[in-house]
Amino acid sequence: MIIESTLMVDLFLVTFACFSAGAVAALIPTPSSALARVVGHGCALVGAIAAIAFGVAGLAGGSMEFIVPDLLPIGGAAFGVDRLSAFFVVVIALGAIPAALYAIGYTREYAGKHSLAAMAFAFNVFVAAMILVALARNVLTFLALWEIMALASYFLLITERERDDTLHAGWVYFVMTHAGFAALLVGFLLLAQATGTISFTEWGAAAAKLDAGSRNLIFVLLALGFGTKAGIIPLHVWLPLAHPAAPSHVSALMSGVMIKLGVYGLVRVAFDWLGVGPLWWGATILIVGAVSGVLGVLYALVDADLKRVLAYSSVENIGIIMLGLGAAMLFQASNLPGLAALALVAGLYHALNHAAFKSLLFMGAGAVLHATHTRNMEDLGGLIKRMPQTAIFFLIGSLAIAALPPFNGFFSEWLTFQSLLLSFQISAHTVNLIFALGVAALALTSGLAVACFVRAFGITFLALPRSEPAALAREVAWTMRAPMALLALACVVLGIAPSLVLAPLEATVFDLMGGHADMRFDLTAVVANGEFGWVAPLWIAVGLAAFLMAIALGLRVIRANKQWRYYETWGCGRALQTARFEFTATAFANPFKRVFALLYRPVKELDIEFHPESRYFVRTIAYYNEGRLIFEDALYRPLLRLIQALAREARVLQSGNVHRYLVYILATLVALLILTV
Amino acid sequence: MTSLFEYILKTPVVTEALKPGDDAQIEVISRQIDDHARKRFGRSLHIRQVDAGSCNGCELEIGALNSPYYDLERFGMHFVASPRHADCLLVTGPVTRNMADPLKRTYEATPAPKIVVAIGDCAHDCGVFAGGYGVVGPVSAILPVDAVVHGCPPEPREILLGILAALERQP
Repeated sequence: MIIESTLMVDLFLVTFACFSAGAVAALIPTPSSALARVVGHGCALVGAIAAIAFGVAGLAGGSMEFIVPDLLPIGGAAFGVDRLSAFFVVVIALGAIPAALYAIGYTREYAGKHSLAAMAFAFNVFVAAMILVALARNVLTFLALWEIMALASYFLLITERERDDTLHAGWVYFVMTHAGFAALLVGFLLLAQATGTISFTEWGAAAAKLDAGSRNLIFVLLALGFGTKAGIIPLHVWLPLAHPAAPSHVSALMSGVMIKLGVYGLVRVAFDWLGVGPLWWGATILIVGAVSGVLGVLYALVDADLKRVLAYSSVENIGIIMLGLGAAMLFQASNLPGLAALALVAGLYHALNHAAFKSLLFMGAGAVLHATHTRNMEDLGGLIKRMPQTAIFFLIGSLAIAALPPFNGFFSEWLTFQSLLLSFQISAHTVNLIFALGVAALALTSGLAVACFVRAFGITFLALPRSEPAALAREVAWTMRAPMALLALACVVLGIAPSLVLAPLEATVFDLMGGHADMRFDLTAVVANGEFGWVAPLWIAVGLAAFLMAIALGLRVIRANKQWRYYETWGCGRALQTARFEFTATAFANPFKRVFALLYRPVKELDIEFHPESRYFVRTIAYYNEGRLIFEDALYRPLLRLIQALAREARVLQSGNVHRYLVYILATLVALLILTV
Repeated sequence: MTSLFEYILKTPVVTEALKPGDDAQIEVISRQIDDHARKRFGRSLHIRQVDAGSCNGCELEIGALNSPYYDLERFGMHFVASPRHADCLLVTGPVTRNMADPLKRTYEATPAPKIVVAIGDCAHDCGVFAGGYGVVGPVSAILPVDAVVHGCPPEPREILLGILAALERQP
């Protein structure tokens, strides 16, 4: 066992002692499930706090090497930390701290129906595995933990396994994640074989000497593997199924944090393991990012399931991160290290921000689900009166994800825009065109994201409740509100004080690529590339606050010496004002469905049943307006049909006849003998 | 087609001739209304019209106020789409059972200070509809009315005089 810095190793050990304690405590059989719920998740909470300390120490420059030689063959289980790993540990911990606290309140509902011991155990294993994935330093360690992470999240996902749609979602997730795992496995083994080592730290130097063909093949395989986890289009099909089906604290972790490990892998592939690649690597990532951004938000815009909206929006945000990453790769390949560093800083900043606001939004959706037992926006409404704090937190999350200042989403999208716009410094016209596509896609994405979250917040929280459960909803417990408050605070702080993050991120990116990001920043302002782009998040926040205060003060002055009379909201004089008069989620999305009909291919159907006596009296009207999913229909269904057809052909071999099997064995033996001789 | 153009070309102006001095009078009344409105509401007059069950005769005359001849907007007077924005309610017709409640709600939704002008004979005493099973009563049975404009229907000029009378009444 090799140990370098004691502080880092101590924090590392404390972190995993906590998770182990949580996992063990969860499994102790007790008559009440409260122990597993409170102690199991409480240990995870402490572990995540230790992890954030570990991550911050790592960002500050701490390093460690931790090898358990006998745990795995060939090199043992090797862990280490550099700034990039430490940054992702911070991202994971930022999601895990509120999620663990939230789980204490949220899983109370599962008591008696599902095994809380299993949930708390899997939760600890899941978070610990995610942190260890970011710290793994050789192939076997990485793959083993990657698989443990996938399995733990799978078992958390199928918590409500009595429902068919949950099992289906679990199945799709299981298949997709293992398809990705297979791609990773092949890619890793090819790279290990070509470089002659399985240690990540030695790949960077060795990979540069490989021939172009094998590097391209390895890049494609690893990008497919990590892209599946990240949820880029067209590998995203598991996200919209898995995130709604999972318990909300797990959705928050899977969507806010786990998919970021796909980003982590891609960053490692592109800037560490394989070194600078040809232009088309970056161009592919950038185009995939643009497509994921636009299509992700378009699907989010029309879905009526609150959690599925958030899941599609994760696809969108991964797209934005990929825009930054792809731009960084293109700049790196065009020999512009300053801009490459700037673009990567933008992408990583957005990854951190997305972890904050997407976790917040999933927890808000979870609180709504907890209070009303429905995720269908058509049955919600009016919750701002019944759950005012949840509504405020959800609003802050919505504003952040819609990239409105002074919240954090604005800043990282601004930075991404700057790095994309600076592409004019590359002189290749094809590359410029690809960047222009990226800029247009990002602009469209941000605009549609605003519409999407106006809808998500407005339909869910405003106006009158559309169903009885929504009308009877009550505010959730403090264990669920406190984590949301924490994340809302993070959204504000990350938005108005980006220098807190930019300094360590700049150092991270410098370690990785050896270029200083082409930007200057202090506590108030950030300047990109000389005087090209300038923004002062703190002053924007102060200005907005002053503006709001001026309005409040102005109203107070105007209102002084005036008589006040309160009366009902003007409803055009209607005697009855019910939720049936309200705008629905479907109606809000309909203009977009029409404009982008090419994508949605909506199937409309109107069934009217008339009274037999007269057509002027209608008995029932049924209106269907379903969209179809292009990738599922055009890509996955044919693929599945092909696999099934091949499997049917292969079935001929498996006749059930023992004699024939004996012939197979003999034939194989003879063939092997001939081959060896 | 040619016959249509022929018809158009041959047809002279068929509207009634103006009464001499009418034009100047409209301007005087409207200016007075505007002066009063600015004193009382601090801005130009915003009007919300409520049809409480009218035959639409009065609406045609009210509509004429926006025609190029009267063109109320030039004096800042403006028909608005919500009682929330209004200073003045013009109510027409006998108040029917279906409209009694919406009329009351409209009155309540109009911010004070406000004036109510009942337009036409029906609004005053239900006119020919008096005693009908669907009729609740005149406007004054539902709301405090500041001025009544008689006529079936009243002329636009008389409507303006009615608004002026309502404004001149001390609040």
